[in-house]
Amino acid sequence: MSIEKGKISCQQLLFLFAGFIEGSALLIDFTVGITEHQTWMVILAGLIISTPVILSYAVLAKKFPGMNLVQINDMVYGRFLGKIISIYYIFFFSMTLSFNIRDVGELYITFLMQDTPFIFFLIVFTVTCAYAVIKGIEVLTRISHLILVIGLFAVISTFILLIDQMDFSNFLPFFELPFIKIFQGIHIVSMIPFGETVVFLMIMGCLNKSEHAVKNTFFGLLIGAASLLIVAVRNTAVLGKTQTIWTSASFQAIRLINIGTVLTRMDFLIGIALTILMFFKCSIFLYVMVVAVSQLFGLKTYEPLVLPLAAIEVIIAATVFQSPVDHAMITQNAGIIYSAPLVFVIPPLSLLIAKIRGLPKLERGKET
Amino acid sequence: MGKKMNISIIKSILCFFLVFALSGCLGAREINDLEIVIGMGVDKDENAGNILLTAQVVKENAVGGASGNGGGGDDEAYWNVSSKGESIFDAVRQMTHKTGNRLFISHNQAVIFGNDVAKEGLQEYIDFFLRAHEMRPAALILVAEDRASDVLDAKPETEKFPAMNIAKLVKTYGFTSHLYKVNMKDFALWLMSDTTAPLAPLLTIIQNGENKEIYVSGMAAFKNGKMVGKLNHDESRGLLWVLGEVRSGVIIVPSPNETGKAVLEILKAKSKVTPEIKDGKIVMHIKIKEESSLSEQSTTENLADDKAFEKIQKSSAEVIRQEIMAAFDKSREFNADIFGFGEMLHKKYSNEWKTLKDNWDEIYPTIELNIDVESKIIKTDLLKKPAAPKEGEK
Repeated sequence: MSIEKGKISCQQLLFLFAGFIEGSALLIDFTVGITEHQTWMVILAGLIISTPVILSYAVLAKKFPGMNLVQINDMVYGRFLGKIISIYYIFFFSMTLSFNIRDVGELYITFLMQDTPFIFFLIVFTVTCAYAVIKGIEVLTRISHLILVIGLFAVISTFILLIDQMDFSNFLPFFELPFIKIFQGIHIVSMIPFGETVVFLMIMGCLNKSEHAVKNTFFGLLIGAASLLIVAVRNTAVLGKTQTIWTSASFQAIRLINIGTVLTRMDFLIGIALTILMFFKCSIFLYVMVVAVSQLFGLKTYEPLVLPLAAIEVIIAATVFQSPVDHAMITQNAGIIYSAPLVFVIPPLSLLIAKIRGLPKLERGKET
Repeated sequence: MGKKMNISIIKSILCFFLVFALSGCLGAREINDLEIVIGMGVDKDENAGNILLTAQVVKENAVGGASGNGGGGDDEAYWNVSSKGESIFDAVRQMTHKTGNRLFISHNQAVIFGNDVAKEGLQEYIDFFLRAHEMRPAALILVAEDRASDVLDAKPETEKFPAMNIAKLVKTYGFTSHLYKVNMKDFALWLMSDTTAPLAPLLTIIQNGENKEIYVSGMAAFKNGKMVGKLNHDESRGLLWVLGEVRSGVIIVPSPNETGKAVLEILKAKSKVTPEIKDGKIVMHIKIKEESSLSEQSTTENLADDKAFEKIQKSSAEVIRQEIMAAFDKSREFNADIFGFGEMLHKKYSNEWKTLKDNWDEIYPTIELNIDVESKIIKTDLLKKPAAPKEGEK
């Protein structure tokens, strides 16, 4: 039996997906440093490459209704190998979550409150996420509409407010960078905003009806990708070449908003939107990690694990990197390598094996 | 029941303690502790290697207190603090020995660089202004003809603060299009380019009896971050024609029968620049469309008819062409690509650009301009004819 009793609908899955991807809007800065003015095409290429893989998650979840990733792994790869793969996944969840928590902290100490200790933001933020996770997936899902709307509002309104400062010749020349850089950019994009949606394999088991899962996943993905694209286009058009030098290109672009000297200093808009979006993303990550760990150890509920795991995440986030420089280096170079098999290889492979072995019908009796 | 009570007691105790933790005193800076900086000037110090930073700080009692006793009298509303340091940030922190508080530079309107600093190169000085989190990328950047601290000292007549006045002078450049507003982001963009020469408005002080007046005398052109020359008003407008940034301004042409002048006001201007590489030669096709109104004439001849219009349009197109050529000749003189022709080529001919980029300095003076100006007079304002006897018509 799955550990989560809550049920979500297919439509809510769409909002979850879109909100989750939008939460990575801050992280496209990792790509911008490498792909400069060609970021927009890198995002499109990453979307095209990762769409079939992400849709395969939905197909997999449809094939194993009511089951989460850990259970699927157990069933497809057997008890022993399945556990090892699940532990690998849990490692990935935990690392990505702590990096995301760290992103929020860095955002705050760089742009909003410089004098406050770093650890304070990490704790407050993670405690809020833990609170949301204890309430369960249904509660998180219910706020996903609101979060998506706030995110889209911030993205679209800043785009409109900056239209007068945009110079679309910044996108020229179209093909300039060496292919290897584009390739690295595509790899980062398909890993970080899109590939992280592998967490939904832990959530899709809660779907009450799974017939529209694939369609809704696809549209959720499109909405999320569209908002990333708007952000990338806005930053390139407004900042031009300088977008590669700022710590956060989005923030700097929004600081340029100046409508009749009245509408200025709109940083708060992006600050609020990013905090909410990151909260949503981190909550989903924390939820997924907690459920995965509890499932792995066969616990009856996951609530007791929420706070201890959240505490571990804070400690990892606070200690693993010395500075944002470290952070960017590791994420750009190592992070996308160790997560590649989890995102691109194992789920499609599970699907293939399940097809060949005729799962899950074969073992349904054994499972309960 | 008892358990529920316990939990609610724990919750209320927790809330009570949170009151102390969440009051937000950490890093608080009250308004009377802020040294609000509205302008900064950077000069070289007599000691080689040191810089002299001048910050214009608002005196909050002079601004907020529109008090009963005549609004503060002769008291200046600002305070120019200066300090020395080995770098900008060093000087900013050294300044706390005089102010007692950290400078608050969120509201900084303009950063002015002295002539000596600009000649030595802005690359090393601009980093702080881009990196500091309180600085806005929209803050203006300017160059003083002499020393920046003198510019910040010149008290304006209508504005309270010299820095605000300077910002106003630059922001309203559209009336004449004799200069161009440059902010931190623009300057950084130019500095990052391989070839484009950065620009900044140039401030001059005019001694008018007792008073000093600030005057924008044109633009300063940079190369590799170092100031290499100046553009006067006409040359600056020649540059703006090409960049498509001309908002308005005045064009004076002789009247068709050479008895006086026709004065046109620019209403609208558009430009399109298409680079072309033809047989190894670089030609820039510049197409300018300009619309203007006849705003003044100093002749009794009636200029508001087709034939006269045609002649005036022709000569105003010639004026525009000359302004562009003047700017281009000037830029050739100090071999700085102020128009950004290099970037335009880069965008269109990205393959050829790789070889062009390395010897751009030799190539730039050999560029040919193909200027095509279309000038139109679209209105004559309130008059159809000049107030003159009819004899002009024959």
